[in-house]
Amino acid sequence: MSDRVIYLDNNATTPVCPEVVEAMLPYLREYFYNPSSAYEQSKLTRAAVEQSRATIARLLNASQPTEVIFTGSASESNTTALRGTLAANPDRRHVITTAVEHPSVMEVCKDFQRNGYEVTFLPVSRSGQLEFKDLIHALRPDTALVTIMHVNNETGVVFPVEKLAKIVKLTDPRVIFHTDATQSVGKLPIDLSGVFLHVDLLSFSGHKLHAPKGIGVLYMRKGTRCRPLLIGGHQENGRRAGTENVPYIVGLGKACELAAADFRNTYSEKKTLRNRLEAFILENIPYCYLNGRETGRLPTTTSVSFECVEGESVLYALGEHGICASTGSACSSGSLAPSHVLQAMHIPLTAAHGTLRFSYGRFTTEADIDALIAVLPGIIARLRTMSPYWDTTANRPNDSTIALG
Amino acid sequence: MAWEYSEKTKQLFLDAISAKPGTHLGEIEDPDGLGEHGSIVCGDAMRFAFRVKRAADPHDDRIVEARYLTFGCTSAIASSEALCTIIEERNLTPIEALAITNQDIVDFLGGLPEQKIHCSVMGAEALESSVIDWAKRRGVPFEDLGPRIEAAAHEEGRIVCVCFNLTEPYLRKKIQEMNLRTVEEVRDALKAGGACGSCQFKAGGIQDLLDELWGKDETGIAARAGAAEKSPYQLYKEIEQTILQVIRPMLQRDRGDLEIIEIKDKKVYCRLKGACATCAGAGVTLKDGIERVLRDRVDPEIVVIDV
Repeated sequence: MSDRVIYLDNNATTPVCPEVVEAMLPYLREYFYNPSSAYEQSKLTRAAVEQSRATIARLLNASQPTEVIFTGSASESNTTALRGTLAANPDRRHVITTAVEHPSVMEVCKDFQRNGYEVTFLPVSRSGQLEFKDLIHALRPDTALVTIMHVNNETGVVFPVEKLAKIVKLTDPRVIFHTDATQSVGKLPIDLSGVFLHVDLLSFSGHKLHAPKGIGVLYMRKGTRCRPLLIGGHQENGRRAGTENVPYIVGLGKACELAAADFRNTYSEKKTLRNRLEAFILENIPYCYLNGRETGRLPTTTSVSFECVEGESVLYALGEHGICASTGSACSSGSLAPSHVLQAMHIPLTAAHGTLRFSYGRFTTEADIDALIAVLPGIIARLRTMSPYWDTTANRPNDSTIALG
Repeated sequence: MAWEYSEKTKQLFLDAISAKPGTHLGEIEDPDGLGEHGSIVCGDAMRFAFRVKRAADPHDDRIVEARYLTFGCTSAIASSEALCTIIEERNLTPIEALAITNQDIVDFLGGLPEQKIHCSVMGAEALESSVIDWAKRRGVPFEDLGPRIEAAAHEEGRIVCVCFNLTEPYLRKKIQEMNLRTVEEVRDALKAGGACGSCQFKAGGIQDLLDELWGKDETGIAARAGAAEKSPYQLYKEIEQTILQVIRPMLQRDRGDLEIIEIKDKKVYCRLKGACATCAGAGVTLKDGIERVLRDRVDPEIVVIDV
């Protein structure tokens, strides 16, 4: 195994920035005071929490810092948003979401179904994009909630959330609009007082933007009807009980400050890296597709499906070269089916099993892409010669595979 | 999903993908036994072939060479290597080889994660079908293979899809397993009916199998009787006509335009284009222009939403 780690899995999690660690340390070493306490010392931690809240509100252009609620993770934010909304609007029994949400939204929606709610799962096209029409048709007089992710974690496809929210709120202002923005905060501009004006609730977590794991945010527009998930404490204005995780809140504030300062740079820099990798793959490896290429994508994700290889074995072989990526196929997660996202996109099964995701972060370099480029074609070619579905002589899938695809 | 593979599993996989001498990847020209198991749809598949040293009595044939081609994950490839190694090491007759179980493969690998056991099962199944193939080629009666294999060998059943040689028991089983509901789904998942298509709707064909398994789909057949009042369709048509004939020409005079995204109930979802899209007065155009025209001409409750 190679000693150097080439980390191309930033949609899963990101390394913590040194500046973030530095900002956190005083609150781990010295300033341990509970922000809710009465004595003078706790003013320090209270101020640190509020400063971080203000930084995050600025990044999102929220109209006031109190709209930012700290949670333990994006999953907690999602659960709170979904369950809290339905609990606060009991006369409405219908929910709209998409077929490609993160499990922390998908599974809560399925749980709603088990509890007598009706849920509409909007389909996506072959490129992973939604149609406005489908949302318009799905809206009903008893729709309580629409929850649609901003950027898909597997493909990087960007949904036009600002427009989808506008459709929803202008059709019926009582419907609550939530978006899971875990993959987009710090990477795409989000203006909650501008084009995102119709978004009521927005979730994200710190560890996708170089803050540590275990800290999340739920943005809740003032006046939104939503009940808390955790009760029993007055923290976060009674909207999330539990003593504030001061060092992590400070870390997240720092990470958001860094993201706000340079995300435009990062954006174009990663786009160059991504384009180089993708052009190389298309040129040098036959029979593969770039998923979501036909629609708007975040430049920090490449999802590529290779015909006739199984993703997990590619991943393992890459691992031997120190390269960390992930699959969209599920052999790695224990089930035989390709991921629900690839299924919803109707990626042919002959290629869906061979889907890999490379995702880039602030620390991804040209050298990382070089390392991947050096080994990927050889691994794919070798695994194809091993596959009964590949015609090695003609260097293409054999006839039975083509009929299947 | 961290990898919890044994050292042996990792080694066999890495040896195979680096084409180390002594590994068993490949095909055998004119093999004595050839079997397949799995499918690309399921995410893993194996083709297994062996050559024997022939004896006067085929029962005394000994397997001397085993090869595989495998599409699958790390452990599927390692399991394939394991199977070939076990068989070549033990100098078995094909009938003796049937005693090799998936557990033998698991043991050889020094264990497999639970969710990866299917990889070893695939090896054992491919071996089984290759031995059945050998028995056919060598004229060995199926009953000599033992009762379990004999039953499997005879479980051929009526062929439904002639092009791909797919039988009724197989299709029945797969349709249920994979929860296939339409002839298109059956075609996409199993290939059945995907070439000449003649078996899709003939008696005893794929549609009949689906009807039998899932019941006939009654919805959608009973068309609803037409409504008496002004239907949503009529409303839709009137709005569409007004936009096309009145509103768009009006906007185009100012180098603007409008695209209808959808019309539902009395709401018109549209996109302003051209000069309108960037115009500071777009909101006014929308409300005082487009919406008012539609309210006057079609219905006073119409709302226009610019997306």
